[in-house]
Amino acid sequence: MSDSYKCPVRTFGRGIHPANDGKSLSRELPVRRAPLLENYFVALPQNIGAPPSWVVKVGDEVKKGQLLATPGGKVSSAIHAPTSGKVAEFLETPGPTGAMVSTLKLTADGKDEWTELPPPLDWKTASREELLQRIADCGVIGMGGAAFPTQIKLAPPPNCKIDFLVLNGAECEPYLTADHRLMLEQPERVLTGAAIASKILGNPRTLIGVEDNKRDAIDRLNRFAGEYGVEVLVLEARYPQGSEKQLIYALTGRRVPEGALPAAAGCVVQNVATAAAIADAVCEGKPLIERIVTVSGEALMHPENLLLRIGTPVLEAVRLCGGIREEPGKLLLGGPMMGFAQKNFDGMVWKNTSGILLLPPRLCVQYESTGCLRCGRCMEVCPMNLVPCSLASAAESGKMDLALQNNVLDCLECGACAYACPAHRPLVQHIRRAKAEIRKMKKK
Amino acid sequence: MEYLEYVKLALGAVLVYNFVLARFLGICPFLGVSKRLGTALGMSGAVIFVMTIACAITAAINQYLLNFRWGEKRFDLTFLQILIFILVIAALVQIIEIVLQKISPVLYRALGIYLPLITTNCAVLGSATLGAQMQYSVFKSTLFGFFSGVGFALALVLFSSLRERLELADIPRPFQGTAIALITAGILAMVFIGFSGLC
Amino acid sequence: MNTLEAAVLLMGVTGGILGVVIALAARFFRVAHDPRVELLIELLPNANCGGCGKAGCADLARAIVAGEAKPSDCPVSSREAIASMSSLLGIDPGVAEKKVAVVRCNGDALHTKVAVNYNGVSDCASAALVGGGPKSCNYGCLGLSSCARACPFGAIEMLKNLAVVHPELCVGCGKCVSVCPRGLITLVPASAQVHVYCNSPARAAVKRKNCASPCLGCRKCERQSPDSFEVVNNLARVKYSSGTLPTPELVEAIGCPTKCLRSVSGHLEQERKEAHE
Repeated sequence: MSDSYKCPVRTFGRGIHPANDGKSLSRELPVRRAPLLENYFVALPQNIGAPPSWVVKVGDEVKKGQLLATPGGKVSSAIHAPTSGKVAEFLETPGPTGAMVSTLKLTADGKDEWTELPPPLDWKTASREELLQRIADCGVIGMGGAAFPTQIKLAPPPNCKIDFLVLNGAECEPYLTADHRLMLEQPERVLTGAAIASKILGNPRTLIGVEDNKRDAIDRLNRFAGEYGVEVLVLEARYPQGSEKQLIYALTGRRVPEGALPAAAGCVVQNVATAAAIADAVCEGKPLIERIVTVSGEALMHPENLLLRIGTPVLEAVRLCGGIREEPGKLLLGGPMMGFAQKNFDGMVWKNTSGILLLPPRLCVQYESTGCLRCGRCMEVCPMNLVPCSLASAAESGKMDLALQNNVLDCLECGACAYACPAHRPLVQHIRRAKAEIRKMKKK
Repeated sequence: MEYLEYVKLALGAVLVYNFVLARFLGICPFLGVSKRLGTALGMSGAVIFVMTIACAITAAINQYLLNFRWGEKRFDLTFLQILIFILVIAALVQIIEIVLQKISPVLYRALGIYLPLITTNCAVLGSATLGAQMQYSVFKSTLFGFFSGVGFALALVLFSSLRERLELADIPRPFQGTAIALITAGILAMVFIGFSGLC
Repeated sequence: MNTLEAAVLLMGVTGGILGVVIALAARFFRVAHDPRVELLIELLPNANCGGCGKAGCADLARAIVAGEAKPSDCPVSSREAIASMSSLLGIDPGVAEKKVAVVRCNGDALHTKVAVNYNGVSDCASAALVGGGPKSCNYGCLGLSSCARACPFGAIEMLKNLAVVHPELCVGCGKCVSVCPRGLITLVPASAQVHVYCNSPARAAVKRKNCASPCLGCRKCERQSPDSFEVVNNLARVKYSSGTLPTPELVEAIGCPTKCLRSVSGHLEQERKEAHE
């Protein structure tokens, strides 16, 4: 046992616990596979890093799982067809953040025929390179939200010795239950993926952290974990427990150095959904074309955990759940803390879309924000030990250099500070602008 | 107990009779150069330097030239005090400016128009005349000048830090800029009243 | 010797000694100083707007004297001022056309739908990061007046959530260009009297859904006057670099179906009128 391993701390300092976690809306509901739809809208790029490039043109007939876009660089990821059909057209549509992206409209032919898939690999005998290549070919990316290509994450720089593979089953965002259902219903898929990732990394200790509001999933995982050499650890339900650096600290007691990747602390973190996608890619040769999405919120008629294909329009997902109960006050892609507010139902499911939330107006109170009270509550909750109020006021008065001095780039944008702020100041928005402007300045 | 007197002199010049915040001398550079801590530090250095030298030279002039003897006759030329002090200080600043321009162009550019302002700065002249009034010896007067400069620097650094902080604050429109700076200066002066009676 | 004589003697001797010291210092610590810098600073506007890319007017003056910049780099100075600066230095004034900014959007609150109830920071760059801003068009003016706040000359007016440039006040310093997260504002020759007030490369159907007067890329203007207009990416553009700039009369003759091809004065008048509705 490595001597830097301390006795497991099951939570990190600070953070918040949202009063309304909204998980009861969908936690008991089994995952339902969505029926085949008429049209799918596949956006590019889905990953962080270099954008891939389309390899099909308008009018092409494609099979399910066929390559649509090939990686455009090292840190890039392939995109595959969610069903068989015809490429109808290429559009420019706004992505979740509002930035315009190139989108392919795929009209389904209803046959849903698979293309010829690569043969299954026996992960126990396959080489590391074979496994990594397969993961890259299948377009697996971080499905927790970051959308970082998985093959890159699983190949850390050779000078970093990896002691821990950490699987993120915290799902600390309120409302979301997609990972919870995945762990509960398909623990073996998750654990297989974990074992494959562990093999690629040279068999480090493999931990899976699950928050204590998912006791059933913990029990389920524990039943199989031994076979795969994985340890299941219990985490306190606290936000943002599922953030990489916080999770590593909670499970291993290690601190990731400022501005560095987790590999610098000897850790690699993977989401449980990503692990399941790795298992599919390796054991069945299936590319990443569908994922579990929590479609929930009090404004929705029947909240559900749906198995949706990548590119499913948000509007169709809402229809599948019986439409709306009342006019929603807010539509979010992702969780309520870090998700992206949408202007309309024109969005679509991406590889990293973990939830579609329709919040009723009574939960979307339009606060009037006032001046900073200097109460320090934002500091008390900031998981990165920053001072959000002064970062925000520096950004507000255009002093980006001051914000940079105070480590604004370390901010996770988890939103705990804005949640805690009694003056309802839009702290995260100020900080996001500062980060965007500093990145722009650095590029120049 | 000689040294106690020097402690009293220092405390008095820096805190109790602070040139800016208790005697209200040298307000112009206090407001003008206090926007950035960096320039405030440069200005403080310049003022300390000028004040120390000005006090030393004026004390010497006061002691030896304004009361000089010609044979049996004693001349009392104290009425020339202000005239000759201005002359000496102006020349001194002129020389410093010329030298600075050559040696440290960065500092020269940072101080900009404020360096010539020291020429007619009441704080510098004030420290010289006060030293003369108190009949300090040359050494004591030099110390007095130095600590007066330190007092000025303290006020300037405090104030510029406050102003840097103020720029982040959400100030109501009518109070923005000089208005809030003057209010802050007033409050800072009230704080310094708290030192009165210390020595 | 009486007191008067002593006083005169004292002052005279002290003054003389100090004068000699200053003269010596000035000699030994002399810095080569170009008197033209001072003269140039006087001729420059001294607004320190930074439109030339230098840190203020004094910096530009130094750069001009050093030969690193031209008097015409100052976008604010009048032609006469540039001419007198040039004659001071004995160089050719160079031809710098006066430029003004134009906000290529006419999507005020009446034309473009405000799609959501935006309750965040009142700043365009911040709002653009939240789902692409509050308005339905993802390319148009966000209407949160970041450019109007950035303008040192007060040349940008907000009329019903739309930034409108007053060309007579604009000096073309380009400060607004850099703050607009949409890249809507461009500098155009001041002599151009007609602009296309739309910047959306989206398809016509999408634009029509989002705005009442978008450029549909119908090529009507291009067909009537191919020398002055071109249509690229569903969007008409005035060919500013061509010799034949369109006139307001030509706009009347063309009759843009969505009225997004307007003359500068017509645009101002129209937006003023709508602002008072």
